[in-house]
Amino acid sequence: MPEADAIRLAQQGDAAAFERLYRLHSRRVYSLCLRMVGNTAEAEDLTQEAFLQLFRKISTFRGESAFSTWLHRLAVNVVLMKLRKKSGTETSLDEMTEPDEESGGPRRDFGGPDLRLSGSVDRVNLQRAVEQLPPGYKSVFVLHDVQGYEHNEIAEIMQCSIGNSKSQLHKARMRLRELLHEALRDQARENRKAASADSGSEG
Amino acid sequence: MATNTCKEFLNHLELWMEGERHPDAQAHLGSCTSCRNLVEDLNNIHQQARSWNLEEMNLSPRVWEALRFQLEQEGLIRSNDPSQPESSTAGWFSRWFRILPRPVMAGAYLTVLIVAAFALMKPIDKQINEARWLNGTQVSTTPLHAQLNTEQKVVYSLPNTNPVVTASLQKNMAIVDNYISLCEKSVREEPQNEVARDYLYDAYQQKADLLAQMTERGENAQ
Repeated sequence: MPEADAIRLAQQGDAAAFERLYRLHSRRVYSLCLRMVGNTAEAEDLTQEAFLQLFRKISTFRGESAFSTWLHRLAVNVVLMKLRKKSGTETSLDEMTEPDEESGGPRRDFGGPDLRLSGSVDRVNLQRAVEQLPPGYKSVFVLHDVQGYEHNEIAEIMQCSIGNSKSQLHKARMRLRELLHEALRDQARENRKAASADSGSEG
Repeated sequence: MATNTCKEFLNHLELWMEGERHPDAQAHLGSCTSCRNLVEDLNNIHQQARSWNLEEMNLSPRVWEALRFQLEQEGLIRSNDPSQPESSTAGWFSRWFRILPRPVMAGAYLTVLIVAAFALMKPIDKQINEARWLNGTQVSTTPLHAQLNTEQKVVYSLPNTNPVVTASLQKNMAIVDNYISLCEKSVREEPQNEVARDYLYDAYQQKADLLAQMTERGENAQ
């Protein structure tokens, strides 16, 4: 069943159409949720919640934007709401970033030869770093770099300007680099400690 | 250490990563290892993120089951499948259990039986042999089992209004019977184990409760 037919039938309450729409989009929505929260059980709950909201509102869908964009907007909002609740504070999207104190831009970090990340950007490290991103950065990074959305689509999903989407993505990547460097340094420190403990016990 | 040129490069970096190659930025990159590393790191991050492909995603079927259940509860969907009577108690009952994770399902199942027993309070065998267990004089489970089986035969002979509900209750009875078999095995293996005996007693009580529900349905049908 083509998506357009499934949407029309779902608007009439057809169970098979709902399932079709779910099968078409659920993995992508789940992927988004999982990358945002880093926990499978939570990501499943959020996926369910996003689809529930979608199906509750499906009769209002008029096709002004792509269906997947509309769905992803709902999913991002569901996840952001969850993250806000988790942090225990109500924050606006603008506050969910970490501007540089002096310039309002990302904190600037220059990579020296000793700080190169090459080879150390594995999935586990990156997932850990993504989890530490402020929600606003995280949303744009996951939508663009993981899910492959273009900035104009992200702007629609996040209801922001294209420039804002680009800027948030850049800040997110820069922050991720810092976080990955911190993890590398911590790892190196641990290794040194372990090595000195070993040499101490041998001597 | 950052130089002015590096700072200038940073101003071009966002556009550089978008694919826009400013000649000054290009010239700087040719001579600055630091900034080359920075660009390489950002590209690595981007590449690694892209490789998180969808093939890894195993979304549990439970999510759709739970979602569908919720949509049905809210009256948002209707089924076209005649083999699944959406409005029947049995359909509701089985779907409710299907959406739950297994440990929760087991717990919920027992809870439903107990709650149903209190709600219906059909005293077939609620008091059966309790005193004997408490006094430690219940040496064999055979009389209990036989007594319940007799009740079961009577209950199954009663008329019913909804074959689907009856089939569901009988299915649940089969589950309880399996549970009883397991408990009986444990008691046979360890006759002095009080926990095993408690479990068996619970299992019989569940069977009695389920029979009470079925009797109630039979009486309603008459």
